[in-house]
Amino acid sequence: MDSNLGLRFLSGVMNVVLVLLLAPLCEGILRKVTAKVQSRQGPPIRQPYYDLLKLLGKEDIESGESPAMQRFAAWLSLAAILTVALLVPMGTVPPLSGGADAYLLIYLLTLCGISTMLAAFAAGSTYSLVGMSREMMSVMTLEPLLAVAIVIGAVHVRSLRLDAVLSGSAYGEAAAPLAGVLMLGVAILAFQAFVGRLPFDIAEAETELMEGSLIEYSGPKLALFKFTQMAKLVVYGALVVSLFAPWGHALPAPLNLAMLLLKLLVLVLVVTLVAATHARYRIDQALRYYAGLLGASMVALLLALYGY
Amino acid sequence: MPAQTVLRQITDRFTSVIQRTDIPEDGRLFLYTEPQALREICRYVFRDLDARYVISIGLDDRPASGKFMVAHNFAFDREHVLCSILCYLPGNPPRVDSIADLVPAANWAEREFRDLVGIEPVGHPYPKRLVLPDGWPDGVHPLRRDYPWDAVPPDYDENRTFDFDRPPEGCMVVPFGPFHPTLDEPAHFRLFVDGEVVRGCEYRGFMVHRAIEKLGDSVLTYNEIPMAAERICGICGCVHNVAYAQAVEQAAAITPPPRARYIRTIMLEIERLHSHLLWVGLGCHILGFDTLFMQCFRIREPIMWIAEKISGNRKTYALCVIGGVRWNITPALRDELRRVLTTLEQEWRAVADAVAGDRNIQKRTRDVGVADAALVKDMGLIGPVARAAGVDIDTRRDHPYAAYGEMEFAVVTQKSGDVWARLLVRVFEVFESIKIIRQCLDHMNEGPLQTPIQDELPIARVGLSSVEAPRGEAHHFVITGENNRPRRWRVRAPTYQNLQGVPAMIRDQQIADMTISLGSIDPCFSCTDRMEVLDIRSGVARIFSQEELLRLARDGTRAQ
Repeated sequence: MDSNLGLRFLSGVMNVVLVLLLAPLCEGILRKVTAKVQSRQGPPIRQPYYDLLKLLGKEDIESGESPAMQRFAAWLSLAAILTVALLVPMGTVPPLSGGADAYLLIYLLTLCGISTMLAAFAAGSTYSLVGMSREMMSVMTLEPLLAVAIVIGAVHVRSLRLDAVLSGSAYGEAAAPLAGVLMLGVAILAFQAFVGRLPFDIAEAETELMEGSLIEYSGPKLALFKFTQMAKLVVYGALVVSLFAPWGHALPAPLNLAMLLLKLLVLVLVVTLVAATHARYRIDQALRYYAGLLGASMVALLLALYGY
Repeated sequence: MPAQTVLRQITDRFTSVIQRTDIPEDGRLFLYTEPQALREICRYVFRDLDARYVISIGLDDRPASGKFMVAHNFAFDREHVLCSILCYLPGNPPRVDSIADLVPAANWAEREFRDLVGIEPVGHPYPKRLVLPDGWPDGVHPLRRDYPWDAVPPDYDENRTFDFDRPPEGCMVVPFGPFHPTLDEPAHFRLFVDGEVVRGCEYRGFMVHRAIEKLGDSVLTYNEIPMAAERICGICGCVHNVAYAQAVEQAAAITPPPRARYIRTIMLEIERLHSHLLWVGLGCHILGFDTLFMQCFRIREPIMWIAEKISGNRKTYALCVIGGVRWNITPALRDELRRVLTTLEQEWRAVADAVAGDRNIQKRTRDVGVADAALVKDMGLIGPVARAAGVDIDTRRDHPYAAYGEMEFAVVTQKSGDVWARLLVRVFEVFESIKIIRQCLDHMNEGPLQTPIQDELPIARVGLSSVEAPRGEAHHFVITGENNRPRRWRVRAPTYQNLQGVPAMIRDQQIADMTISLGSIDPCFSCTDRMEVLDIRSGVARIFSQEELLRLARDGTRAQ
């Protein structure tokens, strides 16, 4: 392990840099494709970079009930998602996964949601509180899905070590990988909700709650939250890829990376098209939908326990 | 004659109390009654004869008769009669028996004349300030004739706050507005929310008053008012422009030439086209379905261009003068309009098919914001809201004006009364509008655009005019007067009634459904707010005072 330390450190830095660079690009592609679907010109693909830079350069306005908490929440959200980036393989060895187990990953992913709730709570506006309650309901029904997906992997490889779990473990060695395939379906159906895009952007719901949880945020803090949202697409994407579609991870690093980027691009396009062709769900409709997925994932878990 | 029939039904029961009746033309009925019988007559007309409540008007008639007046307008849609029940009120301050408990739809109108004219509706169930700004002193009534059009009362108190109702037990107040992404204009709803469920709400609107009616009876002249009337609404302005001109023409017995009536019909339908396309787009936007929103606006754009080619403007066509229209539709324009309609019909067919089969949109709109036929009756709801509830009313067919009497078109109705039904009504009305414009283009003959008017218009004549706006019936009431301007001009925009139905439509619904329920009446707050003197919201902490803000704004304008 020690011999790999340098390599792991390097790939850790690479992962963070990759997420930092890639997230706005994915967002840019998403916006451009959305615009094309809507018969619009659309902003240039690099626009999200400009947006973030602009927001970062703005005055940091303290509006809301507890500014210190709000600042903390903004940093926490970015820190959580970047830490997750350290655990998920992205074309190279996953830097920290040898020293961590699957639980940590689940904790950290939940922390992303919690930081949004914290932000909403600390802001204390009526709209942000409504946004918070919606976010909380979503997190409580959505996070178990990811946990189940990871646990299925863990069951198959009989280990909670992350590097073992995050290598296409969902299908295990079973001749008929029913659990993995079922869970893949669940993950695809839930992916839109994981990354908080239409029709599941219920906690922000611009036309109802005026961005809900984020209503009081502007300037640099908003940049951090926006960045977290963009990064979610990349990180969750990489996570789903390494759990369910690891093909090519044994290839040399550059090719492996190219494969990952290709898969991510496909995911981004799917997310874009779904978002562009759906109206936003109401929270109760979304919760019913999540509950259905949760039921399916439980079946998958049972199948995995019996070796399928 | 149907107006005679209606009149006989009323006079049979109320012979002794009716002072005077007037049927100036078929389809118009004016009744002057004793004040003590007003309430009973209105009950009879509204409940027993099943007339639709339109609006109530209060006016200060002291310069002419020494008295105040109240008029309650009703529509007999099946009989094709618009009826106004007028009543002189002795005494100062004047008092009149409220009809709001019998006719719930009269709630706002009575509060409005209480605020503006100072006529006290005795027995009103909820006599709270409606129109006047928070800081306006009590007992000052700006629509009285002795109140100057440009006066601000000296004791205007900008720090006075509005006395809002207390929320019910266990409910949180979620303020919706005055500024909100889905409100195109300022309006304030205080939602009483229990978890995610709306239990009730209080509305405080009328924030952008522009004194249009006051200007109409004290500053502008007959032919200037159409331009002001058009500015009542940013979307359906032509409706008010035409409705006002028609009201004056009816009062003064002027008949515009046939070509003018066709051109009015064409422009009104062009307006409905762009308004319905706008609404379907905005409705989708509210639901988060921006793709259809963008496509609707793309499809809509050629209509705006053809409107600009005809009138010189995308919106605000400045179409009517009393007795005619100002713009002609040349052969070149006619051909282009036909081409625009062909493309529109094709593209809209695709949208209609896509919408009608979309399960996702249905999920968000079915059983949401329901207004059933009973609510439609009680609150006087109109337009697509009424038709979506299966109430088959359309001013174009029921009280034909312009060239609609010669047109063949279907009145689109649905059954369920929810947002989905309103969406479908609007989607399919687009095809009917296209049909109407084509018929006009086919049948229109060459001819003059205006009827010359040599004499002064007669005074003290009453005119009623209803025009089917995209949002429902727009109703104008005019009493002609001296100095080349009306003595009283009252505008009832469709949203004025439809908005009063919203609290019942959103009760016990989720917050998420509030925006689309409100959106589904296609609200137009500026139409509702057309009345009275300047207003800047008072209350809440501020850095600038009202005067400072006004001064800053004015300096900024002058500097340019």
